[in-house]
Amino acid sequence: MTEGMRLRLAVIGRLGRGLLPYLLSFLVAFAVVGLVLALLGFDVWRAYRTILGTSFRTSNGFVQTLIKWIPIVLQALAFTVPLVAGKFNIGGEGQMIVGAIGAAAVGILLADLPLPILLPLLLLTGVLCGMLWVLGPAWLLYRFGVNEILTTVLLNFTAFELIDFVATKIWADPRAGHPTTVAIGAGGMLPLLVTRPPLHSGLLIALAIVIIVYVYTHHTAVGYELLATGANPRAARVFGLPVRRLFLFSLLFGGALAGLSGAIEVAGVHGRLIAGLQSNFLLLGIITGLIAKGNNAAVPFVAFFIAVLEVGASALQRTMAIPGEMTFIVEALILIFVLLNDVVRRYRS
Amino acid sequence: MNEQPLIRMEGIRKAFGPVQALSDVDLTFQAHEVHGLVGGNGAGKTTLMNVLYGLYKPDAGTIYVRGQATTIRSPREALAHGIGMVHQHFLQIPAFTVAENIVLGTPLPARPLMDLSTVEKRIAQLAHHFGLEVDPRARIEDLSMGVRQRVEILKALYRQVQILILDEPTTHLTPQEVDSLFESLRKMVDAGMSVVFITHKLREVMAVCDTISVLRDGRLLLTRPRTELSEAMIVRHMVGTDVDIGRSVLFSGRQQGDEAPTPMPPVLEVQGLWVAGEEGTPVKNITLTVGAGEIMGIAGVAGNGQQELVEGILGLRPTRQQRLWLQGRDISAASTAQRLAAGIAYVPEDRQRDGFLPGASVAYNLILGLHRQTPYSTRRGFLNHRAVTESARQHIAQFHIRTRGPEDIAANLSGGNIQRVMLARALTRPVPLLIAHNPTSGLDIPSVEFIYSRLLERKRQGLATLLLSDDLDELLLLSDRIAVLYRGEIVGILIRSQFDRYQIGRLMSGVSDHD
Repeated sequence: MTEGMRLRLAVIGRLGRGLLPYLLSFLVAFAVVGLVLALLGFDVWRAYRTILGTSFRTSNGFVQTLIKWIPIVLQALAFTVPLVAGKFNIGGEGQMIVGAIGAAAVGILLADLPLPILLPLLLLTGVLCGMLWVLGPAWLLYRFGVNEILTTVLLNFTAFELIDFVATKIWADPRAGHPTTVAIGAGGMLPLLVTRPPLHSGLLIALAIVIIVYVYTHHTAVGYELLATGANPRAARVFGLPVRRLFLFSLLFGGALAGLSGAIEVAGVHGRLIAGLQSNFLLLGIITGLIAKGNNAAVPFVAFFIAVLEVGASALQRTMAIPGEMTFIVEALILIFVLLNDVVRRYRS
Repeated sequence: MNEQPLIRMEGIRKAFGPVQALSDVDLTFQAHEVHGLVGGNGAGKTTLMNVLYGLYKPDAGTIYVRGQATTIRSPREALAHGIGMVHQHFLQIPAFTVAENIVLGTPLPARPLMDLSTVEKRIAQLAHHFGLEVDPRARIEDLSMGVRQRVEILKALYRQVQILILDEPTTHLTPQEVDSLFESLRKMVDAGMSVVFITHKLREVMAVCDTISVLRDGRLLLTRPRTELSEAMIVRHMVGTDVDIGRSVLFSGRQQGDEAPTPMPPVLEVQGLWVAGEEGTPVKNITLTVGAGEIMGIAGVAGNGQQELVEGILGLRPTRQQRLWLQGRDISAASTAQRLAAGIAYVPEDRQRDGFLPGASVAYNLILGLHRQTPYSTRRGFLNHRAVTESARQHIAQFHIRTRGPEDIAANLSGGNIQRVMLARALTRPVPLLIAHNPTSGLDIPSVEFIYSRLLERKRQGLATLLLSDDLDELLLLSDRIAVLYRGEIVGILIRSQFDRYQIGRLMSGVSDHD
């Protein structure tokens, strides 16, 4: 056997050992849910086919999956980037909403501007608004060491009120039966990559972000410093790293990504601000980030899998009248089993 | 003598995961003897005694107490069989008095009343009889490490142990305290007890032991009366064939030509350094220099401001009135990062807390603080993974770090290997100033030897080293000058030709020259 082959086998072996717990968790989670569905009297195989197959049977299903993937992956990264430095951003939802508000405001107020100016401006505003929303928690952490989990999560609730206010009092669309603003200018909409079924170009932005984040956290000196800070803040400080500034920076980075996800929802999906556009992307993002164990290289793939489940969930509800929450149970079970695997491994060693 | 030995251990075996810590050890402890258990770190001395004390369950083997096969499942059972042990780290309640600490876990004589007067009387008797003077009513938190150790020994004596195990008991003691401890041990064995003395220091075994056993890599290599042994024989057994004893720094001392050059241009100058100590000892008005090609030793009983001094020099703690120069450059106002970048390498004492990234790879651990330098990073701030991995591979080979490879997660490393990572990181570059705090803790003998030769190599290259150590022998061996730290102040600086163990010991315990 040549040296190269042996090396390749070793890599494959390590990859296999790494993926095995995921595969097992996946199988066990599906078995548990299958058992529940069977007891409730549903056709289990058809349910499996619907959950996993909807994304791949039709082009529409696939596009739906990609569109779901964008906010999920961005929310997941908004969670995992600060996590590299050991900080928990649980405010991705609020940052997304405020990013969407900022983007919609630009899109409405400057509706007549042409696309090359309006669209970048709108996205940039979304990013800045997301950063603004996390600035408070980040600064309190930097200056006084206030726990960021509490402050970021509380600001989500403030954001809910804010979007209601903007969508009912400021630019409300009276014809809509739901808190919604008027439409943004045409120049603020993300151009479509494919028209039928419609797929907006936010996908390219998300892909670029995925690559940028990966390169940033795995291949730069600052990425190394974030990781060292997360691994042992005291040792990082002893060896001269600006630990508190890195905390601040990582949270702002996360806020920027979450704000961008809000702007893309406005400019790519809705064309306006709608209360509730945050859906449950924060939760899905955190689940994604945790299943990926905070590894930014794994996040996009896990996010895709979660998007497949989400699209499958709505089909399940439509065609078989099985509550879509069933996939939430699948996701939660996978997460639990993946984490459990770590516990078992620690116990054994 | 035809009576049964106090303790006989037969065929003791113990493995931790893949590491065979003890293989088939047979050992006998007699009454009336101080039995030295000698070996380097990782030889299995402490593990063997933890088995006897009921802390570890052996995988195989039998323990006979006075000829009776006995299973000892806990320290409580060990004490019931008359076996007591004093560990390196004491378990004492600082807010309690000496007497309260000693009776803890034993039935009170005046129950339910907390009247300890009879206990105190008994303790005073024991203390007087064995030369372990201590006030039974003093609070533990007010006592020095040396006195606290006496309390720990009295705790065992109060429980009427017949065999007393001491694990590296001289670590926290001044030379004077070591002598007085040895006198006490002599009195104990005269009274019919057996004392097991675990150490890695030859001088001490030769001074006090009646019988000597040498362990290496979990095997018992020999047990003989001291009178039949020479230092050379013990060394040979301790280190095996890995170390060339004739050229060993550890056993033969520094070579000719290792004297500090004169004059030495100062590399580090500290003037009037005051460092605040939240819990530890505040450091007061320290003035010292470390010259090019010099090893400046800092001696002192642990906890006399060593950590605070280091953190003050590195800029990790608020300081005042300080002036610091590194190679003539004023770094008084510089940040920690700037000071390190100006030419300081650091081996922290508390490696787990201050120098280790458990969740990162071994390779990442090896570049902490160096990660922005070439070749690890490009000028634009990108990491060069190939260079990081390649240099990690070299360090792993050169410093004998036992790991699966550069990419392996550092949490898998053992304590000694973490220490090797700390040293590899600090020693591979010719950094003008090295600050090393207990650099050889947890290392086996060949590794200690390797580190000593590297420190002396730095001298030859004209680099400066500030060496803080709890081990006075280490300082005497390596330093060109020794400054003694007592309660946060430098109470004396001695040059190599004036080195005197007892003189340093007096300074360490706060007795000044002019008293």
